[in-house]
Amino acid sequence: MTSLRIFFIGGLMSYRAMFGWLNPWILVPSLVVSPICQILLFAFIGRSAGVGDDEFYVIGNALNYAAIPCLFAMGATIGGEREGHTLGVVLTTPARRIPLFLGRALPVIVNGWGVAMVGVLAGVLLLDVHVPGPAWPTILLVVMVASASCTGLGLAMGAVALRVRETAVLGNVVFCVLLVFCGVNIAVADLPGWMGAVGGWLPMTHAIEAARLLADGSTLGDVGGLVLRELGVGALYTVAGLSLLRWFEDESRRKATLDRN
Amino acid sequence: MERIGAVLHQQLVCYRLQLRVLSTSLFDGLLAVFFPLMFATAALLVYRIKGDPEAMQYAGLGAAIMGMWTCQGVIASSLLTRERWAGTLELLVAAPTPLSRVLVPITMALSTIGLYCVVATILWERWVFGLRLEIASWPLFVLSVLMAALTLALFGFFLSVTAVRYRTSWSLGAALEYPGWLLCGFLVPVELLPDWIHPLSWSIPTTWAMAAVRESANGGSPWADLARCAAIGLAYAVLASYLGRRLVDSARRNATLALT
Amino acid sequence: MSAVQAVDLKRTFRTRTGLLRRTAKDVEAVRGVSFRIEPGELFGLLGPNGAGKTTTIKMLITLLLPTGGSASVLGHDVVDDVREVRRRIGYVFGGDRGLYERLSAYDNLRYFSELYGVAPREQKARIGELLELVGLTGRERERVEGYSRGMRQRLHIARGLLHDPAVLFLDEPSIGIDPVGARELRATIGLLKEQGKTVLLTTHYMFEADELCDRIAVIRSGEIVAEGTPTELKQRVPGGRVLEVETYGVPEATVASVGEVGGVRSVAMEERGQQQVLILQCEPDAEVTQGVLARLGGVRVGRVVSREPTLEDAYVELVTRA
Repeated sequence: MTSLRIFFIGGLMSYRAMFGWLNPWILVPSLVVSPICQILLFAFIGRSAGVGDDEFYVIGNALNYAAIPCLFAMGATIGGEREGHTLGVVLTTPARRIPLFLGRALPVIVNGWGVAMVGVLAGVLLLDVHVPGPAWPTILLVVMVASASCTGLGLAMGAVALRVRETAVLGNVVFCVLLVFCGVNIAVADLPGWMGAVGGWLPMTHAIEAARLLADGSTLGDVGGLVLRELGVGALYTVAGLSLLRWFEDESRRKATLDRN
Repeated sequence: MERIGAVLHQQLVCYRLQLRVLSTSLFDGLLAVFFPLMFATAALLVYRIKGDPEAMQYAGLGAAIMGMWTCQGVIASSLLTRERWAGTLELLVAAPTPLSRVLVPITMALSTIGLYCVVATILWERWVFGLRLEIASWPLFVLSVLMAALTLALFGFFLSVTAVRYRTSWSLGAALEYPGWLLCGFLVPVELLPDWIHPLSWSIPTTWAMAAVRESANGGSPWADLARCAAIGLAYAVLASYLGRRLVDSARRNATLALT
Repeated sequence: MSAVQAVDLKRTFRTRTGLLRRTAKDVEAVRGVSFRIEPGELFGLLGPNGAGKTTTIKMLITLLLPTGGSASVLGHDVVDDVREVRRRIGYVFGGDRGLYERLSAYDNLRYFSELYGVAPREQKARIGELLELVGLTGRERERVEGYSRGMRQRLHIARGLLHDPAVLFLDEPSIGIDPVGARELRATIGLLKEQGKTVLLTTHYMFEADELCDRIAVIRSGEIVAEGTPTELKQRVPGGRVLEVETYGVPEATVASVGEVGGVRSVAMEERGQQQVLILQCEPDAEVTQGVLARLGGVRVGRVVSREPTLEDAYVELVTRA
């Protein structure tokens, strides 16, 4: 029961405490205007270059932008503990670590999902994109999966940020890597071979492909393999992130590495 | 004569010190270009699919000035806000040197950062994509790029004066980044955008600077575009200095300069 | 001619509250402050937070327009002769803001010497001199971001002195500095006085004002409530002596009964760890010790000290008086 409360309530509270963007003056430009601009930019680049169609870019970039809250908010809820000198306080509580940190992921996943859906809706309204009615529920689901697996990466990033401290820099770099390697604007098949191979091990890549197929009329059964692989990649990063946190905590007890500034 | 020498000395020293404030480490410098560079990379990957050298030249030139927009424009638009947070804005105003003479070296330092971004992007394009830009007239090309940097600094300064009163204006800089990429014709021709957006594009000096850069690279005459760019840039400078004076006056009346 | 003169200086702020129905409210931060500072004098402006000290200084250094009254620095009006005033004054405020973090101390000073129009040929010598004065020689090439608060504060003072101003405004310079740093800072301010600078210092540390200032004005809610030398202010405490009695576990009722002893004007209790210290303001010539100890009865008593009133007693008296 305690763990459940830590998971739901504790997670939501730390999300609100740590994610300094929850102010309309920052939230709207960064999580509504910017993703729409990115979608429009690449859709027009595609039109100008005569490559792909609007739907291709809308889905790719909407999902890609979900990475911003997933990486930054997740990074901030963990990495920010260090700046606020609250990490020591949190770690001295008897709370179990897995619900403690995974609980923080839940609001972040919802946030990422919302951002991606705003992007898709904007694409439908502003550009030449038609998503068939029956495809919507499955797309919602796939976007949720993408957001979750990306939050796994955010958790791993947050753990690393505890040590390197440059959360914002790290977030930007990872976001750019996702932009170039995950088939956001170029189908993975059109990427140079090594880039495609890297993309296969990153979150987003499979979900973007699955969402595009769904919008073109595939069923959830057709893309089941892709969704499973997306979940697998996300789980991999989550486990890596949790192990890192565990390791840092143990190491810190020996050498006080987390309290230093 | 000696007075002019003194002013020049002052401007030069202030320029060098401001440049030092803006560019502290190699790491920061690399990071500043990284973000626009990765977007340029994504765009070039899209253009590359068709394998059309003309399209690659188009995208390559655009990506170079796009980097400038991000590095320079974003820093410039938060300029006064940063001074305000650091507590130095008050001191700059309280100094007996006129504010305009404080700001000119800052503008020059910003332009230098912008030029660095252009060079970095062009080198990246050559190394990663093997893209050699065809430049018909180097003198005109360099002139156009310089004009782009200067007018962007003026435009950024105008934004900075407008934004300094809002506490969250740091997010404004970031929020302007994407619209600029769309509006200024870096990677997407302005004509491709909906008609009602065109006036917005035309009101940004960088749009004209971009056109001049393309003209001079492709062997055309950039002078008409340069003239428009200069005129619009100057208009922003005049507006900014008027607003700047109003800002300082109103700060003396209402005590809004310090952020405490 | 006075170095600084303020005549009935007033400043009202208009604050707005509410998002849709904006209601304006006028707040009088400074309500008619007058004083004169003679050349070479170290003048202290003493008062609690929010009393109007900083607002007064900002008007004097031309950063804020008065809404009433007038002020001049070395004969130049602070509203109209802005550049003339700015050339002649230095301004230093407390806290760790107001420096370019990424530049070294030397570069910070160089930048502001340019802005204050220090002749290029003199800059190097001047900066060296000031670094020596504030004790930062040897550290000047380090970036300010690595500086301690005390070092930043001394760098601030060096910055304020670059153009050798005749009048220096120090706004709470010792805020947040450790005792050693604060002592060094007081030594530096003392040196400035010896050099013949006119200094206006605001602070809320009593001993600092007592040690440094020639004259002090106490400001409360935007008004000057007392002015004079530290000694004069101490004499204003209506009662010649203060008796301090250390007690352990004194009941409230007993404290009240101590106040009734003949010759005791008022009694205040201060918690210091496990002790409660009774601070009694007494009539100048009254002998109260025996009476007080009798009233305390079975309470355990530590040291009993009779002392002169300090500036702090005077200050507390002045700013708490309704």
